[in-house]
Amino acid sequence: MIELKNSTLVFSFPDIHPEARISIKFQRTLRIPDDEKTYPLPPGLGIFPLKHIDDYPVPEQWVEHGGVMMPMYQSEAMWIDFSTDYMIDHRTSYPFAIKIATGKINAVTGEPWDNTLNSNPQDYMVSTEQPWLDGYCIGNNVIRQFVAVPPASGYSAEEQLTGKAEHGGIQLIVYPMKKEIFYKKFPIIQRKSVINESGVRYSTSSDMLIAPGGKMEQEVFEDPFDFTDWDQNINSRCFVHIADSMVWRSITGENPPTVPFTAKEYNRHGFPWFKYYKDNSKSLPGSSILNKLKSVLQMGNDKGESPLPENTPVNQENVIIISKDQVREGHF
Amino acid sequence: MCTIYYTRMKELFGKYIREKRLLLQKEDKKFSLRQVAGRIAIEPSYLSKLERGKENYLSEEKITALANELDEDKDVLLALIGKVSIDIQEIIKKRPELFAQLIRELKNMPDTAVLRIVREVRDGKW
Repeated sequence: MIELKNSTLVFSFPDIHPEARISIKFQRTLRIPDDEKTYPLPPGLGIFPLKHIDDYPVPEQWVEHGGVMMPMYQSEAMWIDFSTDYMIDHRTSYPFAIKIATGKINAVTGEPWDNTLNSNPQDYMVSTEQPWLDGYCIGNNVIRQFVAVPPASGYSAEEQLTGKAEHGGIQLIVYPMKKEIFYKKFPIIQRKSVINESGVRYSTSSDMLIAPGGKMEQEVFEDPFDFTDWDQNINSRCFVHIADSMVWRSITGENPPTVPFTAKEYNRHGFPWFKYYKDNSKSLPGSSILNKLKSVLQMGNDKGESPLPENTPVNQENVIIISKDQVREGHF
Repeated sequence: MCTIYYTRMKELFGKYIREKRLLLQKEDKKFSLRQVAGRIAIEPSYLSKLERGKENYLSEEKITALANELDEDKDVLLALIGKVSIDIQEIIKKRPELFAQLIRELKNMPDTAVLRIVREVRDGKW
């Protein structure tokens, strides 16, 4: 089941284990310059608000898809944050396989969406390895940042690969590890003592699509488990619609978040960038399909347009090395 | 009958918060009666009376503060003292018949069945 709690999607599988739970948040962030330089990880600048689409007068197609919605400004960037509860008795968090797509284009492989997990090539991430995903996996240790663009502009990954903006949004599906495999691989370890622990529907023009932006250093890790360890009979999936922040207030009656910092402004204050360090994990080679996509800037140049309002290259002097469970946030 | 009921509730509430506070105090002295009372802005003698079941009046604001202090659910503490939080009262007042019917129907259901009515994100066709 999926619940929406404080703008966080909580996927839980209580029939498997009471703590088989993963939280997925959409983090606001800086749009890194789209200048072919590979940047470190930008910070989280707070989470995007999420709302049940059923509570608002949204386009008919959104109603059909179900799910939730969030606002994004044109050319705003985001990353997707995965967090799981540490299970003290098992000395791990429950492992999940997570598949993500934008406009029904898989963000790891560039292949069209399907509801099953595939291992060749691996089209999913594993929660115990992967703390976040910032964009499309275009190479080994390189992604292109998720950036919002208007529909029918030709910039989105979906439009570049299929020629049309049919689906939009972000699609997520989560599979738990098989219960018996989990107990075998992570048996309970006995502890000596307990540790504290209005009726008007808005048209589809309110949509935003996701396109590939600047390059960032980020690994998408190989599955460290056996492919058969995943329980493909059980899954939960969700469609996340993206509304243009300019119409968010008209739909929900609430203000969208303020316009995010630019990378240049962020850097001027000396705020940190991040590098993720994970030992002993192999990363995927990246998708050749996604690697052929044009970035927003490249596409804009082809069209004679300037889609990115601020794209000044920046140097990052303050880069912090972080590992899993460390917070990746700017200080304000 | 009524007096016995309220006396029993006072005792249950008092016993519950005392046990929880003492458990926390074992780990950290900041959970002493005096310090907890200070942080929720009531007299230590009054918190002592509450814990011994001699008093049971505490405003919702103070109960919320106490719940935060003891890392407890405020609705649980409110229920122990015989109250329902104002926000829940407002929700019920907006659709009294519907919620009265719903609560009566849920009365004898097991927790697992009640949990199934929490709102799920609806999946559609895509």
